[in-house]
Amino acid sequence: MKKSLALLLALCLALSLAACGGGGAGTSGGGDTAMPDTEPVNVAASPGALAACLASEPDSIDPALNSSVDGATLIIHLFSGLAKWDQTADGTLTISPDAAEELPEGVPNDDGTVTYTYTLRDGLKWSDGEPVTAADFVYSWNRAASVALGADYGYMFEVVQGYNDIWEADDNGNPVNPDAKLSVEAVDERTLTVTLYNAVAYWNELLAFPAYMPVREDVVSDESWATKPETLVCNGPYTITSWAHDSLITMEKNPNYIDADSVTMEKLEFYLSDDENNMLSNFQNGSWQLIDNVPTNEIPKLKEEYPTQFVVTGQIGTYYVCWNINEDILPASSELMGVEAENAKAEIRNAIALLFDRNYIVNDITQAGQVPASSFVAMGMTEPDGTEFYKNAGHSDAFVGYYDVSEDAIESNYTTAVETLKKYYAFDDATQAFTDFPTLTYLYNTNEGHKAIAEYLQSALAGIGITVNLENQEWKTFLNTRKTGDYSIARNGWLADYNDPICFLDMWTTASGNNDVQFGKGEHASVAAYSMDLTPYGYDITVQDGTWAQTYDVLISTIKTCTDNDTRYQLMHVAEDLLMSTGCIAPLYFYTDLYMLSDGVEGFYSNPLGFKYFMHCVVTAYG
Amino acid sequence: MNSKTLLYIVKRIGLAVLTVWVVITITFFVMRAVPGGPFMGEKAISPAAQAALEAKYGLDRPLSEQYFTYLKDILTRFDFGPSLKQRGRTVTEIIADGMKTSVKLGVVAAFSALAVGVVLGAVAALRRNSILDRAVMVITTAFVSMPSFIMGSLLLVLFAVRLKVLPANGTTGAGLILPIITLALYPMAYITRLTRSSMLDVLGQDYIRTARAKGVSGMKIIFGHALKNALIPVITYFGPMLAYIVTGSLVVERIFSVPGIGRAFVQSITNRDYPMVMGTTIVLACLIVVMNLVSDILYKVVDPRINLE
Repeated sequence: MKKSLALLLALCLALSLAACGGGGAGTSGGGDTAMPDTEPVNVAASPGALAACLASEPDSIDPALNSSVDGATLIIHLFSGLAKWDQTADGTLTISPDAAEELPEGVPNDDGTVTYTYTLRDGLKWSDGEPVTAADFVYSWNRAASVALGADYGYMFEVVQGYNDIWEADDNGNPVNPDAKLSVEAVDERTLTVTLYNAVAYWNELLAFPAYMPVREDVVSDESWATKPETLVCNGPYTITSWAHDSLITMEKNPNYIDADSVTMEKLEFYLSDDENNMLSNFQNGSWQLIDNVPTNEIPKLKEEYPTQFVVTGQIGTYYVCWNINEDILPASSELMGVEAENAKAEIRNAIALLFDRNYIVNDITQAGQVPASSFVAMGMTEPDGTEFYKNAGHSDAFVGYYDVSEDAIESNYTTAVETLKKYYAFDDATQAFTDFPTLTYLYNTNEGHKAIAEYLQSALAGIGITVNLENQEWKTFLNTRKTGDYSIARNGWLADYNDPICFLDMWTTASGNNDVQFGKGEHASVAAYSMDLTPYGYDITVQDGTWAQTYDVLISTIKTCTDNDTRYQLMHVAEDLLMSTGCIAPLYFYTDLYMLSDGVEGFYSNPLGFKYFMHCVVTAYG
Repeated sequence: MNSKTLLYIVKRIGLAVLTVWVVITITFFVMRAVPGGPFMGEKAISPAAQAALEAKYGLDRPLSEQYFTYLKDILTRFDFGPSLKQRGRTVTEIIADGMKTSVKLGVVAAFSALAVGVVLGAVAALRRNSILDRAVMVITTAFVSMPSFIMGSLLLVLFAVRLKVLPANGTTGAGLILPIITLALYPMAYITRLTRSSMLDVLGQDYIRTARAKGVSGMKIIFGHALKNALIPVITYFGPMLAYIVTGSLVVERIFSVPGIGRAFVQSITNRDYPMVMGTTIVLACLIVVMNLVSDILYKVVDPRINLE
């Protein structure tokens, strides 16, 4: 009796399991929750498709609204601007015409502005078959640069004439010229002219940036247009054929794309996930061919296990420590005031920057091929002659940048730093430590990687008696604290939007929203501690003991209106010199872009901004 | 159902509405007090753009006005507003997408856990102190004490990476199998133990002995008398557990990249996406309140002795 009862119950168990499996399938409406024994499970990507995972659901893939690198990668597969990043046969990256027939030089006007005229290629079509016209570009650019849209990357149009009028605001922040437009005109269906305030070396690069890609007025009038495959009309190599939000975007080749013949990958699957462990599992089991992130603690193992598939490439960006310039770090006994105090603080901050062993940070903590940094403008930025900007930074023949960050220099850096600090603080020879350095607090956003670096910095300074407390904050709280200057030292990082050093320099003007150091704000507004002489560069500007606004702000606006490219770059070095002399920025390393790419993928490339290009790929082997 | 029960239910619904309103109010004001806003990013936007966006979403108006507008919109039009982060999508759309997956995941996991748990628990109770009983107890103890992120990671590595028989990603249908198992193991083990002990308790009662003495068959005793009464604690547990499993599967959603509501909820807070935070909080609060209510009422239906007053 008991036996048969147990058997019956066991049967119930089996039945209920099966029923539940079926029930799940029923609720989903498509039978997609089938149990493994009822449907063969395929862990590999669909044949003919390339599966990649860059990040989680993008905030927007509207070219004007996007501000993320992963979003940009999606957009370059969907839209085609006047120019694009291309890879030549020998593997070098170039900017080549895309929707435009060619990328002509600009024609200078008498007032110093420069006008470019573009002819669109014949036969350009939107994915719904409508022709792409010059007027579409005029509309898109004005939309992207408008106050009403409030796009993060609206400022990418600041070089175009009219931008300043659009954004000119009264004291209440209301636009003064609500009807202002960019100087962009559609001469006819296929001819577009655009006037820039002055010649811009990186203009063609801007044309290949997502914010400059066209959208169609009737399409974007529906605000949700870029969230659904059926309303997303585009003009690039692919169209979105299905979009399971937070899960998977499937793109298929766009037959209306003018260069459709050159597109070798028929189908792309972009999985949306931000969990690195999950990404790695999917890469390891062969489901995905590219993942854009890996768990930091797995890096050493992955480098060994996947020597050809673990890829580290340059990315234009700098990871640095920033000081709040208004933070008083002098000992309580110090009687220095005003300019003298500021100069002393600058010397102290620069000395502390020498105490960090950047080689240890990149080799033992971050471990992803980052490069120790000794200047702020990142590696990857080039001079007009093609050489690296960072290699020309600083004024030493012995090393690159503003301090020597080679492994051999650790001891001499340490000695120099300690000697400098001794000028201001009491040093106890017995313990080899300073006794009256005020306690500092290092702020970082909650993240294991930042924490590890913070702990290292803490221990490096503890070695000479400087106590650093660590404080971590959740991301947006952290941004808010740093922006309002409610900190003493903070972790910071900056990634370039285009290959021009100005994007690392104009962020430090007094009024800039990214001026986390608080240059020219609060007490620092009245500190007249800076000098500059621009006469060697042909400008009648000399400032002796000026404030930040009188020096740095003037310098940046001079650079922005400078039309001679060589002079412009020299001035940018002057700006970086001034910036670094404050000691408020202690660069630690230049970022790298790290991803894993299956050996079975050929024809893949990425650009220095981290955009990834899959259209010319061929998958020779899965798994 | 008598008038007393009806009155009780009406009272409970009133209390539930009050609870949800309190949750809405607290969340609304606390969220606004948290530093950092929806439009704050690593790269700052200009003050004019910030002002334009705030005006567009009504964030420039006084907080109290925003609060009453919000309440009016959700009550009169069931409109939870647009997401501030995912431009072009409404909160209702995003929540519906997330809930579709979370409910599928949660309901399948909860009912599998219930079915397996009750059967295993009953078998273990009937075969008390046998090897089967002991095995069940050892295994369920392990499942109850193992956190889901360990269980999930183990299953992921074993089935998705080593054996390659199941996908590691919860996007496809088959990809939901591992998350469902991970989610179901804890409640399954808990229900097994609950059923077993309550069944043992019931089997020792006088009325079971009486039934046996009167010659009622073993089957009828178990299904007609014992199991029915032994399930009362399971029902109390099941309602809130279902709500918990649907809403609280964040860890499992992360491990398997499942596009569920838990992830949407946490991300909305990180993003300061106010309408999304409100929307997800309301949905989750309602779910928990309703589940508690349902289980209380079911309790009464199953056991008439319980006095709801």
